[in-house]
Amino acid sequence: MKCVLVTTEGAEVLFYWTDKEFEESLRLKFGQPENGEEELPALEDQLSTLLAPVIISSMTMLEKLSDTYTCFSTENDSHLYVLHLFGECLFIAINGDHTETEGDLRRKLCVLKYLFEVHFGLVTVDSQLIRKELRPSDLEQRVQVWERFQSLLQTYGHLREQEQCFAVEALERLIHPQLCELCIEALERHVVQAVNTSPERGGEEALHAFLLVHSKLLAFYSSHSASSLRPADLLALILLVQDLYPSESTAEDDDDDAQPSPRRPWSSQNIPVQQARSPHSAGPSVGSSAETQTDSFSLPEEYFTPAPSPGEQSSGSTIWLEGGTPPTDMPQIAEDTLQVLAPPAPAPPGPRRIFLDASMKESYCPLVPHTMYCLPLWPGINMVLLTRSPSTPLALALYQLLDGFSLLEKKLKEGPEAGGALRSQPIMGDLRQRMDKFVKNRGGQEIQSAWLEFKTKAFSKSEPGSSRDLLQACGKVKRQLCAIYRLSFLAAAPGRGGPHLPQHLQDQAQKFMQEKLLDWKDFLLVKSRRNITMVSYLEDFPGLVHFIYVDRTTGQMVAPSLSSSEKTSSELGRGPLAAFVKTKVWSLIRLARRYLQKGYTTLLFQEGDFYCSYFLWFENDTGHKLQIIEVPVLSDDSVPIGMLGGDYYRKLLRYYSKSRPAEAVRCYELLALHLSVIPTDLLLQQASQLARRLWEASRIPLL
Amino acid sequence: MATSTSTEPTSASWWNYFFLYDGSKVKEEGDPTRAGICYFYPSQTLLDQQEFLCGQIAGVVRCVSDISGSPPTLVRLRKLKFAIKVDGDYLWKPLLSALEKVLGCAVELPDVSCKRFLDQLIGFFNFYNGPVSLAYKNRSQEELSTEWDTFIEQILKNTSDLHKIFNSLWNLDQTKVEPLLLLKAALILQTCQRSPHVLAGCILYQGLIVSTQLPPSLTAKVLLHRTAPQPQRLPTGGDAPQEHGAALPPSVQIIPVFVTEEESTSLCEFPAGQMTSSPASPARVHNGSAQHTPKGGSTLALHENAGGHVASMAGVSATTPEPTAPDEAWPGGRRENGHLLGHDLDSAGHTGLHESRSLVTELGLPQGELDWSEIHIPEAPEVGTSSGHFAFPSACVPDGSGPCHKESVSDPSSPEPSPPEDTTARSLLPPSAPEMLTQDGAPGLREDPAGNSSQAPVPRGDLHCRRTSGPLSPPHLDPGQGGSELPVGEQGTGRCVDGARESHAAPGPGCSPGLANCPGTGPSADRIDSRMTPAGCCGGLVRMNLYTHSVKGLVLSLLAQEPLLGDGAAIEEVYHSSLASLNGLEVHLKETLPRDEASSTSSAYNFAHYDRIQSVLTANLPQPATLQDRRFLQAVSLMHSEFARLPSLYEMTVRNGSTAVYACCNPVQETYFQQLPPAARSSGFPSAQDGAFSLPSKARQKLLKHGVNLL
Repeated sequence: MKCVLVTTEGAEVLFYWTDKEFEESLRLKFGQPENGEEELPALEDQLSTLLAPVIISSMTMLEKLSDTYTCFSTENDSHLYVLHLFGECLFIAINGDHTETEGDLRRKLCVLKYLFEVHFGLVTVDSQLIRKELRPSDLEQRVQVWERFQSLLQTYGHLREQEQCFAVEALERLIHPQLCELCIEALERHVVQAVNTSPERGGEEALHAFLLVHSKLLAFYSSHSASSLRPADLLALILLVQDLYPSESTAEDDDDDAQPSPRRPWSSQNIPVQQARSPHSAGPSVGSSAETQTDSFSLPEEYFTPAPSPGEQSSGSTIWLEGGTPPTDMPQIAEDTLQVLAPPAPAPPGPRRIFLDASMKESYCPLVPHTMYCLPLWPGINMVLLTRSPSTPLALALYQLLDGFSLLEKKLKEGPEAGGALRSQPIMGDLRQRMDKFVKNRGGQEIQSAWLEFKTKAFSKSEPGSSRDLLQACGKVKRQLCAIYRLSFLAAAPGRGGPHLPQHLQDQAQKFMQEKLLDWKDFLLVKSRRNITMVSYLEDFPGLVHFIYVDRTTGQMVAPSLSSSEKTSSELGRGPLAAFVKTKVWSLIRLARRYLQKGYTTLLFQEGDFYCSYFLWFENDTGHKLQIIEVPVLSDDSVPIGMLGGDYYRKLLRYYSKSRPAEAVRCYELLALHLSVIPTDLLLQQASQLARRLWEASRIPLL
Repeated sequence: MATSTSTEPTSASWWNYFFLYDGSKVKEEGDPTRAGICYFYPSQTLLDQQEFLCGQIAGVVRCVSDISGSPPTLVRLRKLKFAIKVDGDYLWKPLLSALEKVLGCAVELPDVSCKRFLDQLIGFFNFYNGPVSLAYKNRSQEELSTEWDTFIEQILKNTSDLHKIFNSLWNLDQTKVEPLLLLKAALILQTCQRSPHVLAGCILYQGLIVSTQLPPSLTAKVLLHRTAPQPQRLPTGGDAPQEHGAALPPSVQIIPVFVTEEESTSLCEFPAGQMTSSPASPARVHNGSAQHTPKGGSTLALHENAGGHVASMAGVSATTPEPTAPDEAWPGGRRENGHLLGHDLDSAGHTGLHESRSLVTELGLPQGELDWSEIHIPEAPEVGTSSGHFAFPSACVPDGSGPCHKESVSDPSSPEPSPPEDTTARSLLPPSAPEMLTQDGAPGLREDPAGNSSQAPVPRGDLHCRRTSGPLSPPHLDPGQGGSELPVGEQGTGRCVDGARESHAAPGPGCSPGLANCPGTGPSADRIDSRMTPAGCCGGLVRMNLYTHSVKGLVLSLLAQEPLLGDGAAIEEVYHSSLASLNGLEVHLKETLPRDEASSTSSAYNFAHYDRIQSVLTANLPQPATLQDRRFLQAVSLMHSEFARLPSLYEMTVRNGSTAVYACCNPVQETYFQQLPPAARSSGFPSAQDGAFSLPSKARQKLLKHGVNLL
């Protein structure tokens, strides 16, 4: 029984996802439609009705106590509720089947939030604008948006349970240096350079290209002009690709799961979404959204009046319900067709607008718009190309302005000092100059008036505005900046007919790669399942059952394969033993994270017949081990440890570097599972040998 | 509203609020929230704030119950956490704050502990006032608010950081008390138990447990009584106490209390259960040796005999005026009974003899004992010879009837004429002494060998005893009603024989020697009745009487069945049987204790040892906690939750930048160890030279002297 809900302060549903069991429990609660005279309220309305007291209470608590709910649990933790407030949106995750812990649920919420950012960029900064993105007034659009994220959540949940790289949140490489080299060369010459030298690219610049076999990275190439891609972003992209083209194993596993516990047929859901998106993405939707935009900026109140009107809304939602969750026999058909037709996907999803962190012109800029082209080569093997449009400098300018105003806002909220003192702030002068320049260049009536209003309130000597007035004016300017951002990058997104690479350039790259890898295809698919085998370690490390080694600086992990599925099996086979070891590893990951959150960097425990150990340490570039420090102790409701929802390790590295500004610091983790008959000192000896060996292996350049 | 009686506004940073909210009074739109607030702590909280909190939390609780089908037990905010209990329309919520999260060393109270604090608080209230709804029906809100205030004050006053984490009871550091005194305390309790109506009890000295026969939940409640002076009030039952109250000596008080049905069951099972459980491990040991040594040479026999005595002593009582019962062995007995076997006893044994005798006389044990043994002589050997050495021991031990069979095995081969005494003494005396003494938990002692999956620390042997004595064997019960102790004793052994014979078919009777110990000698039938017909039972609670007798710092608390209050003779009997020995104990404790308190100096390590069964904590943490101590506490709090969550978790070492803490755990105990000062910082890279990983062996070695055995 699972549910995820995103709402506004007023309990307006911005997004929801439920599994079948939860839906069923709702149905029981609201009763069957009696004699058909009264239709059941839509699922989203049911949810908002049910949870409204909690939502409203948590907002009231925040207002009156400046504290708010983070977690509820019922007897024996049989039901867990996790609440997380991002800005003005409240995220709620519910689990009623013991399958997820509080940490898991919170992580899910943070990942969802991150996925919103990847899709909407800085628009997420403004609560009203993001509301419009997540809950378009047009029902069909809303269905599309929600389905996309529902599917992403489902895929994420599946990957987190199945793939070690998603369990520890790090990139997993396919270890085959020779092939890797070959691919990098191909990516460089025939993909990135080919695109960038083509006259038809229309200002789009190819930055990164990579190859994925299932969720493992085979090769990655970045052009010279590109800034490096964060591992967290790369992992998010892998998630997107896995969602677009679920690899056969995921589909198959899902099939397995479907029998004992009816899972939501998520892969089948993709298809209508994808088909629906590409054809009419060009014309009408852009038009309509452009229309609403201009309206909404002048008259936001009208646009945002919440309250789903009973007539249109509920009927519309029911239609969606019917369309979205087909009868249970449907998924089978859908999955079959998917598997058969997958290679040249029936209606390949067009390029997607995504927002990734980058550094531009020596300055760091989060959420820079990119366009992602996902080019499937074969089922399970995909190529991804990332391009940047020529309008990117605008993103940087907007970010800097928004950042400046946010800082200002913070200062205003902190201190009571108003106008006069504000003017003396050093950031103010700079901000004013840049803003003046920006407004002059970009025109735009709304932004001009908003900026003017702010200036009169902040700088006029006669009547310096109160700090509340200023805050309000500041908010207006920010909203206008976000609106420009939205107009430039979302409304004109490639999916909505914005500029993107012509199809034949994409096809060309795809075809070339297919030819290049044709002979390797089957090998790659098998190799991805048996990437690293435990057998090769057994001789040197008797008693070792499993390990995961993570270089947190590069965000890459090394671990023997564990995944097993219908067709392929891990070394431990497909039986209960493999499943048992897997649950042990997953619980070790959970516990290690829990203790790292509380500041413990070393953990050794004996549970049942196993010794589980976890080590985190720092090194400099030459491999010299650095002294451990006191790692910050975080509260239970802090962003969970990992990469996807808030990059913990990057912060940790920055934190450590403060004490060693001169050195490049690297951070490593090792998780090991031993049989408990192994004496502790031998275990430690093995762990240190293992870490050394893996470290040396990682020094062999693969790129 | 709640009248605050707490003299100073106790601003405990970890306990922010507690409130009792009656949702049934706030049903309509117009009903003000304040109508539902029965009690709010701290009482100086603004009414608006009270209403706000009650209203919000009650709303959320209702909402969550709607969705999940059960109310939340824990609601966490960023800085606070509420444990919640819903009882019909009543909502209890203490708000326990998690401390500031900025500082790495702040110790956050684990969720488990928060919930247990609430349970404890409600338990206190129920114990002294009966079910909440009933209490609020019969008594004024102000009066009950005073009660709550007292309980909260008590909890706040009494709780150190470690106790907070474990919700443990307060006990004397038993390593610092003369073991004989502990034994003496245990014996006082046993003596009292023999008086009519009395079920079990505990002895406290200056608020610390000296000896208890009660399950931890009850001990905690009784502990509270010492500083919670009961206002003269009419219990819901009637005015009986008033009449007798006048007749009571000033130091004695009897009040009606309410125990849960579970507690009541465990109380009534108490005496015989001990019998079956305690001697189990020595019995096993002994049986083994008995099998290997058939009637052999005198040395062998002697040896075996020694074992037999040890076992019997370990099993029950050192009060037996019998030369081979070495009291000196008791300090050793704190570890494991098994260790007592063999020759070290021979050396230690005789010195103890003297004291044991004097103790017996001092305690004024009924002389009847000896007489009983005379009577049993003919029976016991018969058992032994007829059943033989080999057939029974192996068959019976698993049934938990070890003690009887062991006797039957060892006695005949013993050259001494005393074996029957052994038998009877053992069957007559409640065996709580070893139980009390082995605070540190030799697992074998407390795990019920009969396989009763009883969670209560007191095994349920007597339950069987009762059950069987009712329907199965009425003839045995009959003589018991004669009021004379003699036949009951006989019955005890008689049934023991039965037990030996029937051990396969009915495990119950095997436990029956304890029947002799059922405190209600005469009216044992009444007792059964009173249990069957819940006369004093209301809302899942059973009414009982709490008899307290204080001698300066020493308090004897006894839980007795309700008739005690009306039975002047019984009260007198309890009073007189314990008075002299209580005085003596008090003097001894006063002499020995203060000297020890001064001797707490800073040591090279911190440790905490928690007995999960008795809920008792042994630790050496100094009160004003240093930074390292707080780090220790933080680790303990985390790992304690982990042990509670993962039953198969056995050992754990955690290390952060500043300290390393080792913990290990088994079903009966948890131990935590931290070395001071911390070893030099390492890199965190796995290394066998790392000091953190040598903690287990250090813990094993250092804790031995605190009576903690991690081997």
